[in-house]
Amino acid sequence: MSDYDDNDHWDQSDEEEVDDFRLTENAEDEFSSKMIDKFGSEYVPAVSKTAPKAVPKEERTTTPYMTKYERARILGARALQLSMNAPVLVDLEGETDALEIAMKELNQKKIPLVIRRNLPNNTYEDWEVSEMILP
Amino acid sequence: MFFLRTLSHTINLHPSYFGPHMREFLMRNLHADVEGTCSGRIGFIISVLNITNISPGKVLPNSGLAEFIVQYQAIVFKPYKGEVVDAIVTSVNQIGFFADVGPLQVFVAQKLMPNDFKFDSNGPCYRGDDQTIEKNGQVRLKIVGLKHQATQINAVGTIKEDYLGQIQ
Repeated sequence: MSDYDDNDHWDQSDEEEVDDFRLTENAEDEFSSKMIDKFGSEYVPAVSKTAPKAVPKEERTTTPYMTKYERARILGARALQLSMNAPVLVDLEGETDALEIAMKELNQKKIPLVIRRNLPNNTYEDWEVSEMILP
Repeated sequence: MFFLRTLSHTINLHPSYFGPHMREFLMRNLHADVEGTCSGRIGFIISVLNITNISPGKVLPNSGLAEFIVQYQAIVFKPYKGEVVDAIVTSVNQIGFFADVGPLQVFVAQKLMPNDFKFDSNGPCYRGDDQTIEKNGQVRLKIVGLKHQATQINAVGTIKEDYLGQIQ
């Protein structure tokens, strides 16, 4: 319906971020502790002393090339979303496989995800998939 | 007492809701999740007034859901010890009576009524010299005890003081 109409006007602020693949385990721990915390609404999440800081967009130093690991993670995450009925952002030519559609979206740089590259100095850089050079 | 509080709530959004109307889904989800709930710490969340901030979504590994932390302002009802409130009687028995202060249930034991109050099983009601307390009647009572549990608050009230009791 209307969800699928104006897919091209994807709102930038609606984007999701993807943790760096190396931090997957870490993120999962965070997730499960949140699930146990049934009354999440009453706790404003405390900023821990070691909360990572963002690197401003102009000062990013990591490569604009998407690594093969990032590509795999992005394709997997996006294909999973598509398989769960997320709106498709490209015109389909008969493709039905979620992974195929995800690859097509990636090739057209239409994947609305952001890669968060966590760096060893406790900062991170956010790279939009749409601005990266594909491997 | 009623308070305007800034609270935060975590919403895991299913991928089928992604798209241009995500904000509306989040708002609807927040209202459904949060309004009418009660917790011992913050009291009863009566109504969400406005949403101050919605964090950028975060993709949860392996589940495909996106996690949003929504900060919002809400009207919260938190009862306090010593607070005088108006209530509607919901049930009367020989031990005392229960009354509702909006979402809060208050129990008033017979000990905490003036000495002239006697239980009358015809009704059932409590009869004093010049007032009767029966089901659906209005009473003004003072909260003397509160028990905060994880998902509910119980209160004990008294009408054994001046200006408390039935409201004509």
